Amino acid sequence: MLYREAGQYKTNYADDQAIFPLKQDRWLMAIALVVAFVVIPLTSSEYMLQAVIIPFLIFALAAIGLNLLAGYCGQISLGTGGFMAVGGYAAYKFTTSFPDLNMIVVFLLSGIIAAFVGIMFGVPSLRIKGFYLAVATLAAQFFLQWLFNKVAWFYNYNPSGTITAPPREMFGVMITGPNASAEARYMVTLVIVVVLALVAKNLTRGHIGRSWMAIRDMDIAAEIIGIRPLHAKLSAFAISSFYCGVSGAMFVFLWLGSVETEAFAITVSFQVLFMVIIGGLGSILGSFIGAAFITAVPILLTNAPQFFGFNMPIDLQKHFEVMIFGVLIIFFVIVEPHGFARLWQITKEKLRLWPFPY
Amino acid sequence: MNETRNIGDTLLKVDNISLSFGGVKAITGVSLEIREREICAIIGPNGAGKTSMLNVINGFYHPQEGTITFGGEVRKQMRPHLAAQGGIARTFQNVALFTGMSTLDNIMTGRNLKMKKNFLWQAINIGPARKEELEHREFVERIIDFLEIEAIRKTPVGRLPYGLQKRVELGRALAAEPKLLLLDEPMAGMNVEEKEDMCRFILDTNDEFGTTIGLIEHDMGVVMDLSDHVVVLDHGEKIADGVPDVVRADQNVIDAYLGVAHE
Amino acid sequence: MEVLNTIFVLPFLDMADSPIFFAEVVVSGLLTGVLYSLVALGFVLIFKASGVFNFAQGAMVLFAALTLVGLMKAGLPLWAALALGLGGAYSLIKNLQQGSRNGVLLSGAVIALAIVGSFPGLPIWMALIITAGLMVVLAVAIEKLVLRPLVNQPDIILFMATIGITFILEGFGETVWGSDIHRLDVGIPDVPIDVAGMLLSTFDMWAAAIGAAMVAGLALFFRYTVIGRALRAVADDHQAALSVGIPLKTIWIVVWSVAGIVGLVAGIMWGTKSGVQFSLSLIALKALPVLILGGFTSIPGAIVGGLIIGVGEKVAEIYWGPLVGGAIENWFAYMLALVFLLFRPQGLFGEKIIERV
Repeated sequence: MLYREAGQYKTNYADDQAIFPLKQDRWLMAIALVVAFVVIPLTSSEYMLQAVIIPFLIFALAAIGLNLLAGYCGQISLGTGGFMAVGGYAAYKFTTSFPDLNMIVVFLLSGIIAAFVGIMFGVPSLRIKGFYLAVATLAAQFFLQWLFNKVAWFYNYNPSGTITAPPREMFGVMITGPNASAEARYMVTLVIVVVLALVAKNLTRGHIGRSWMAIRDMDIAAEIIGIRPLHAKLSAFAISSFYCGVSGAMFVFLWLGSVETEAFAITVSFQVLFMVIIGGLGSILGSFIGAAFITAVPILLTNAPQFFGFNMPIDLQKHFEVMIFGVLIIFFVIVEPHGFARLWQITKEKLRLWPFPY
Repeated sequence: MNETRNIGDTLLKVDNISLSFGGVKAITGVSLEIREREICAIIGPNGAGKTSMLNVINGFYHPQEGTITFGGEVRKQMRPHLAAQGGIARTFQNVALFTGMSTLDNIMTGRNLKMKKNFLWQAINIGPARKEELEHREFVERIIDFLEIEAIRKTPVGRLPYGLQKRVELGRALAAEPKLLLLDEPMAGMNVEEKEDMCRFILDTNDEFGTTIGLIEHDMGVVMDLSDHVVVLDHGEKIADGVPDVVRADQNVIDAYLGVAHE
Repeated sequence: MEVLNTIFVLPFLDMADSPIFFAEVVVSGLLTGVLYSLVALGFVLIFKASGVFNFAQGAMVLFAALTLVGLMKAGLPLWAALALGLGGAYSLIKNLQQGSRNGVLLSGAVIALAIVGSFPGLPIWMALIITAGLMVVLAVAIEKLVLRPLVNQPDIILFMATIGITFILEGFGETVWGSDIHRLDVGIPDVPIDVAGMLLSTFDMWAAAIGAAMVAGLALFFRYTVIGRALRAVADDHQAALSVGIPLKTIWIVVWSVAGIVGLVAGIMWGTKSGVQFSLSLIALKALPVLILGGFTSIPGAIVGGLIIGVGEKVAEIYWGPLVGGAIENWFAYMLALVFLLFRPQGLFGEKIIERV
């Protein structure tokens, strides 16, 4: 009864094609944005921001990146960690070489570098499909990780091999480095993620998004209609890697502050892949849901035992966490292979009728 | 047969095409011509090489011998995107729709070649990209109107019944505004009403837009009624080529395919 | 110019300079390669029979090795023995009621495993039998709980499910036996011996021999036994196999069990060489380039692929590694596979993919 389309007529195509055609959806989005921009920074603790919300946003961005490639364009990639690393290290080199460069510009440039690397490793996708492609992306993952480990130029010859975000300001506020407050970092992250999410949504609704989906669904028919697999696949790799690169840059600068290559290992690739699958392949909203889920689970697991009154040793927690992930993956994959996004859609459809049966 | 159709010069010519896969010869020395604005039917028993011929024209298969002449250019092999850019559109025997998308989106992909605004414009979706999208949407809506599928425009095509899927596929092909429309068994699996609808759509397309039609079909009634020109293939070779009445009476064709009515 | 010289000329000169050392490197690579082949074999078996890319193969290797070590040292922990025993008892009763003979046997076996396994310090042969038995139980569980509900899903979904299995096995294994590195001693000494002027490790040679024997055995099994033929039928076409009366379920159980046992052998070999630890499951990833070179469905391919990767890696690391700071082994195999794929997308022995429209 609350969630109805009745009475909402679209009188032109522009309205029909809006991202949120239903008024109720628009209200929900508005509320979410208000919560994100106003409520959260005012009410959240430093811990919540640093441990939960900022990583959630950053991983959501990476998940969007992977979703564009795997969910919309159907190209499996296990190299997400590697592309994030490119973004992180590129950002580090840019800002240490040009300290006066605005950080947003640095992030965008890092994304572009990652996009180029993505195109390079995406070229094999023209010949290779499915699992074979996954292996090619593994090559990217391991090679890139090794590269940033061995070639000292990337970490400015720092003997410890780590890269540390130098302090940088924007509009007079410290946003990176040890003195940047969690709120400041959160706001920058939020703005970047919201803008890029909107861009992603627009891309998927336009002809480039359709060409990706066409390649995913039936690449032969797509080719015969005139969609060039080269353009479609490489653009998917490029844009996806851009997102992963920006995410990686934010990973270093706006969240951890200091990383070594291990932070971008294959486990990250798998994590993001899980987010995309649990959240829903081919859904921007799904990327957010998946990221939220995967970021939240370890926190829950850390705190749950205390909640129930007993203490679990740390390494046992880790093992349980790993096991529970495994169970969850299998559960989701059996019960709802299209992830949370589909569950959300089904809920919305049911809500359209509620409380009436039909 | 429609005498008022204004048939023009040769639009597509294939000369002496031979195609084999490993040891299997799919097509042997077949030549045929399709002229502008005509409806040409390619018929023959199963396995005769009809679909393979369409695939050669589209550039999906590359013949070992022979040439394809289209748009003034003679080629030894066609490439899919060249065929598409040149104005050849196609439907498939086993419906090849993009199952993850809605009807509307599927037909919109047919417009892809005409969408020029690059991804940066699409990213912000204000201004040029948006305008382009809306223009194409209008065109696609006219096709949806024409094919009478308004009610299912937002339905994911995977959920549609077979007959409707075939119609959506036709819509996708029409969206490209093709010069030559190749239809592979467009009426397979349809009942009488659906076939009549489909015939009407094909004829209307030919009438209103002057689209040349190449048609693989098994229903002889349809073939004889609709087409100006019939080509018969059997075991990869051409055994007849001419107007329907002549072909229908050709003894070779009767032996290989049509059969005789028994009293 | 200097750079080109260093990359394309010097290493080969090095090789020619001390050919015996080169031969050692090659042989060492071959021996590692045999182990890769073993792991890849597990993948091929499962992929051939059920079309699933079992990412969990690595975890199964790890799990098998952990179980073996754990049993030898301390036997099954009490709760595990109890759980297994009770589960087996429950299953036994159900199967007696249903009159299912196989079920009864299996349940009886599980109970026996539980009882015997709970004693610490088992001799290796007993531990081996028990572990093998456990791997079979695992295979049955996986087939019932994971594979069957997912029968018609696309590949990526199945792949994700096997990743899930990996996580469960890893987490579980580490919960039960802890995450330290365990030493595995199978009674084969690791002393170098002199073969035609090359210094080779005895252990490596034993490992290679055992590996080769397994591979040969499996190849014969597939060609000449009834089950082997049935497996090949299933690999070709599930539906068709069903329609001629081949029991799909049983086949899958057999395949996963065999894969589990292959995993066990591989786990023993690797475990003895470098200790049983977490990173063993990364071996699964290494098997991927092997599968690419050899094709996903070819047993000889897995062998040849494994050998090529093993040798390639070793040679690259020794002769080109120092030029760039070492650790080339981490990515060399994948890069090799990638380059290979560009020229031959179906691998050395895989079937050419013909697409029809």
